[in-house]
Amino acid sequence: MGDRYDRLGWTNRTFDALNAGFLILLMLTMIIPFLNVLALAFSSGIASMQPDIVLIPKDFSTEGFVTVWSSLDLWRPLLNSTIVTLSGTALHVLLSSLAGYVFIHPHLPGRKLMISFILLTMMVPQEAVMIPLYVVNKDLHLINTLSVLVLSGLVSGFSILLMRNFFSAIPYEMAESAKIDGAGELRVFFTMYMRLAAAGLATVTLYEFVGRWNMLTPAVMYITDMAKITLQVALKSMIVDSAATSSSYLITTNVRMAGIVISVLPLIAVYPFVQRHFMKGILAGANKE
Amino acid sequence: MTTMKRFGALYAMMIPVVLYFLVYAYYPLARGLQISFQDYRLMGTHPYTGWDNYRLVLQDASFLDAFVNTLLIGGGTLALGFAAPLAIALSLNEVLRSWFRKTAQMVLYLPHLLSWVVIGGMWIFLLSPDTGLVNVVLVKLGMSGPIHFLADAGWSRWMLILLVTWKDMGYNCILFLAGIVSISPSLYEAARMDGASRWQQMRDVTLPQLSGTMKVIFLLNTLGILRIFDPVFILRNPATASKVDVLMMYTFQRGILEMKIGPAAAASFLVVLLTFALTFAVRRLIRFDEV
Repeated sequence: MGDRYDRLGWTNRTFDALNAGFLILLMLTMIIPFLNVLALAFSSGIASMQPDIVLIPKDFSTEGFVTVWSSLDLWRPLLNSTIVTLSGTALHVLLSSLAGYVFIHPHLPGRKLMISFILLTMMVPQEAVMIPLYVVNKDLHLINTLSVLVLSGLVSGFSILLMRNFFSAIPYEMAESAKIDGAGELRVFFTMYMRLAAAGLATVTLYEFVGRWNMLTPAVMYITDMAKITLQVALKSMIVDSAATSSSYLITTNVRMAGIVISVLPLIAVYPFVQRHFMKGILAGANKE
Repeated sequence: MTTMKRFGALYAMMIPVVLYFLVYAYYPLARGLQISFQDYRLMGTHPYTGWDNYRLVLQDASFLDAFVNTLLIGGGTLALGFAAPLAIALSLNEVLRSWFRKTAQMVLYLPHLLSWVVIGGMWIFLLSPDTGLVNVVLVKLGMSGPIHFLADAGWSRWMLILLVTWKDMGYNCILFLAGIVSISPSLYEAARMDGASRWQQMRDVTLPQLSGTMKVIFLLNTLGILRIFDPVFILRNPATASKVDVLMMYTFQRGILEMKIGPAAAASFLVVLLTFALTFAVRRLIRFDEV
């Protein structure tokens, strides 16, 4: 790209400067809020309640984090979120991959019909069937269980199509010759396709992991039992609801910000991998659909 | 070899997925339609009541409010949420230093990674009238008093549109970039031979070549506008509810919180119909099939 333009002209330099300025301004709208949160989380309770521009911790203290752990019970929601996220992601990836693998067989009778069956489910937004879904889960006695959170969005047409795209990049002849040698479909699937499409698996896994960790709507719909609430719901009552009511003297700002910092740690931890796989995956999916 | 012998294992692999979609996608759709014509209580019988639920919903002033809010907030998000990432993608594409481009992409994508509870909670504090960063800066700059961004009915819709756009622009920008990367370099070469400036290249090569990508993203975003729920659920408060409560919020309140399942199912079904109508309209409008 370097030699695309004559970079000596003053119009070009002005253009570059304005362009960089625009991007830096936008980046500041992201960096400043996050710095503010981080700085407040590490400030003392009193300092965090002052109207001031805080970008580095004021009166450095970790009391916010200590309070989150000792007096606000975030352990249970954290555990619930971990269970739902890990098991839901694992099952989602497995089931979506299985269906994706089925769709790469060109001579399979009924393949087109099955693909239409999947595509149709993508047309109807989950949110628009929220009421009947509630009734279905109620009939299945799943209200106030963690299973309902694992089950919601357990398979998605998007993931199936994405996995199919990744699988179809693997030469089909490999599967055929393995089957001639006597390998069954499951064996071909697990030992060849799941290994060779590692990049695709990483993409879908990360996508699901982030989505499930952040999942809110099903958690507020199906769970009212305080022992079963997830981290996002617990955070909402701690950060959002307590801000709206005037009981804010009970929970100081540094505690709330500490809650935010703790809840985003798993996401920040996977971000480098998201950078590497997820974006490539989106591009692969976007280009082929 | 018979079909079943040859493909039996593959069909078996599809069973869990097919079952899941039958129970959690197709059946709820049919069940929702049925419930929308019933007087549905969680216990006891569910007598059919004809069009009563639909009549009730359509005569409900707060449903009409929700409809207007969805159109305004959804429309605003659709427009701004399309233009902003496009501008950013074009801008990123002009950056010559790759470290700067990568850093910018990484930073701009960050909000999309975090939940609405975190993003919403963060902005509720940043925008708070007493101690929030934004108002502290505004007052220091000489504003007479703080602005109640999230509690003022005049600001609330704009804040929703801005925050939804802000959170997702890094994501949509990647989709646009994917389209830009696939434009043939020879077109730029030819343009430069003709003496086109960078601005002209952007206007006459990049933008027209990107029309296919733009159509896809516009269609995807259109489907999203009727689904807005999380940001409203987080950012609403009693002062602004009538200005920001969208259709999904209405359904949630009637059905899950007030347990008026019948009317809520009728409202959901209207949303499904609207989704189909909107998809059809947009497809016709942008002639999606010609991409």
